This record gives sequence, C-alpha cells and structure tokens, in this order.
Amino acid sequence: MAAPLVRQLGCLRLTPSIQQPAIRRCISTIYSARREPTPLPSNVPEQFLSQLPTRLKKEAEGPKKIKIYPPPPSSRAACKDPVAKVTETQLSVLDPKGERKALFDYRRNPRSVKPGDILRVTFKNGDPFNGVCLSIRLRGIDTSFLLRNELMRVPVEMSVKAFSPNVKSVEIVQRSQIKRRRARLFHMRDRKHDRRSVENLVDSYIKQKRAFMGKR
Amino acid sequence: MIQLKTLLNCIDNSGASVVECVNVLKKKRPATIGDRIVVVVQKQRAAGSESSTTTALANKVRRGDIRHAVVVRVRKESQRPDGSVVKFGDNACVLVNKAGDPIGTRMNGIVGQELRGKQWSKILSLAPMHV
Repeated sequence: MAAPLVRQLGCLRLTPSIQQPAIRRCISTIYSARREPTPLPSNVPEQFLSQLPTRLKKEAEGPKKIKIYPPPPSSRAACKDPVAKVTETQLSVLDPKGERKALFDYRRNPRSVKPGDILRVTFKNGDPFNGVCLSIRLRGIDTSFLLRNELMRVPVEMSVKAFSPNVKSVEIVQRSQIKRRRARLFHMRDRKHDRRSVENLVDSYIKQKRAFMGKR
Repeated sequence: MIQLKTLLNCIDNSGASVVECVNVLKKKRPATIGDRIVVVVQKQRAAGSESSTTTALANKVRRGDIRHAVVVRVRKESQRPDGSVVKFGDNACVLVNKAGDPIGTRMNGIVGQELRGKQWSKILSLAPMHV
C-alpha cells in the first residue's frame, strides 16, 4: 500500500524550480537610486590633503602635467639653398663683373677657355705660370683649372683656383689646334700625347703683345 | 712621398746623379719638399764626360757615400696656402752637409717654392728657377 506514496525526491523539485526565476526577477527589477558619493568636506585640514586619493585632489594638486613645447621655427624657411647663397655672395665679392666666371664657364660660353688651350696665369706677386689646360673643374666658387708645362725638362702641373684673389690675370695664349672630344685631357700626361714645353709659344705671344701695345 | 728605398735624382754638381733615401729626419711620415733626409749615393755622374777642371767637383761624393740631402721636387702633389696644387714629374734632391749648406755649387732644374717657408734660402738662391 505504501509503495505508490513513495516518490523520488527529484520529482518534488520540479514544480518550484519553474516558478522561482520569475519571483527572483521581480525582486531584482525594483528600482533603487544609486548611492550618491559622499561629498568631500570643504574644510579639510591641510595636513590631510596629501592623504586624499588623486581623483579627489584639487586640480592644482592633481597628477603632474607634461609641458609640451612647440617645435622651433624651421631654418629652411629662412634660406632654402644656403650653399647657393654663399656661392653667390662670394662670387659678388671675388668676381664682381663676372668676367672670370664667363672665362671658365666652358659649358655655356663658347668664347671661354677650353681644355687643350694654352694659358698664361699671372699671380699677384708677379710670377707667371704657363701651360696647357688639361681640365676645368666647375664647382661654383671653388672652380679651378689644371695647367701642365715642362720647365727645364721637368714636367710641372699646377692646379689654380679661378677665383683666387692671388690670381691677377688669366690670358689665352693659343686656342687648341684640334677639336677636343673630351673635357679632361689626362691622356696628355702620357709620353705619346705630351705637349712638352709651351714656353716658346708663350714667349712669342708676349713679344707680339708688346709690339701690339706699343703701336697703340 | 719620399721614404726608405725611394730613388731620387740629384740635381746639383756634387757628383751624384741618383741617390736612395735611407732615412727621413725630424718626421715620422714620408718626406716632401723642404724636408731633410739621409741618402746613399747610388750612381755617380760620369766624370769622364766633363772637363778636367770639374773632375775635382765631381769627386766630392762617391758611390756608396752616406750624405744628408734636402728634397726639392716631389711627384706627390702639394697644396699651397692659397689653394693651388703643384706637382712635379720626378723626385729630386740636393745634397747638403751636416750644417745645412749645399755641397754642390750649381744646380740645374727647378725647385719647389715650399723651400722658402722652411729656411732653405741658400738652395733657393742657387736654383735657376722655382715654381
């Protein structure tokens, strides 16, 4: 008789477990206002200020701010190409009329000195140097030319700065007889192509020049 | 760039024609124009070709002699204070005695102007030309 009454305990759990969540939800959805933070009392004694957390501290005492500096003004805006500017000012000092520049600018000026020409350079102290021009190095204010000659059977090469204040005059004694196909005539250092001494030519040029100047 | 074993032309009339550098004095680097070096005479100038009066001069130095010399021309280009660069076709020197006076009485050939700044005015005055 008692056997049908005996039930497994798990069956009893079924009924309340369905209804329980609804009840719980009812409780949780009741609105309650959020607790307001306790305001900081206005008259906190000074000795306690350091103990306050950083978020409650006044702005002046807040976390350290990193100062950001603006970038310095760019010097590029002041002068876009300083090298060209320096060259220009130097040229205006050392070669105000632009004669020397025109004399060596063999790329643009057809009447300029060309490699292969025979030149006579007179320095400020009066010493001359003659020679065949082997190369012209166009580098703005650093422009220089290389002369080669043979003095007392010894080959001598001298590279002279075109705009040097030490150079008094540069004269073209004789133009190149043949058309030169290259800008650097370093093959003229070889024995086969060497021009040897140009002193005789220069001497006759000076004689001619003197005669010409005398007639005037 | 004159250093140990460099052969130089001797351009005075002391009797040497080719000398070999054995030491560079007062310098830890190769010698250049105006530097004093110690040399060994390797070749004498032919005494027979010159007249009998100059043979006494030609005998001033012999082959194998160790002498002091001053470099007057170098192949290595040297820059002057004004920016110009000078370069000669050979290496040459002039023999001098211990006091610094040239042994020869004449010189044939150009010398570099750098000698002036280094107090070798005696050599410069003997030289027929300087560049």
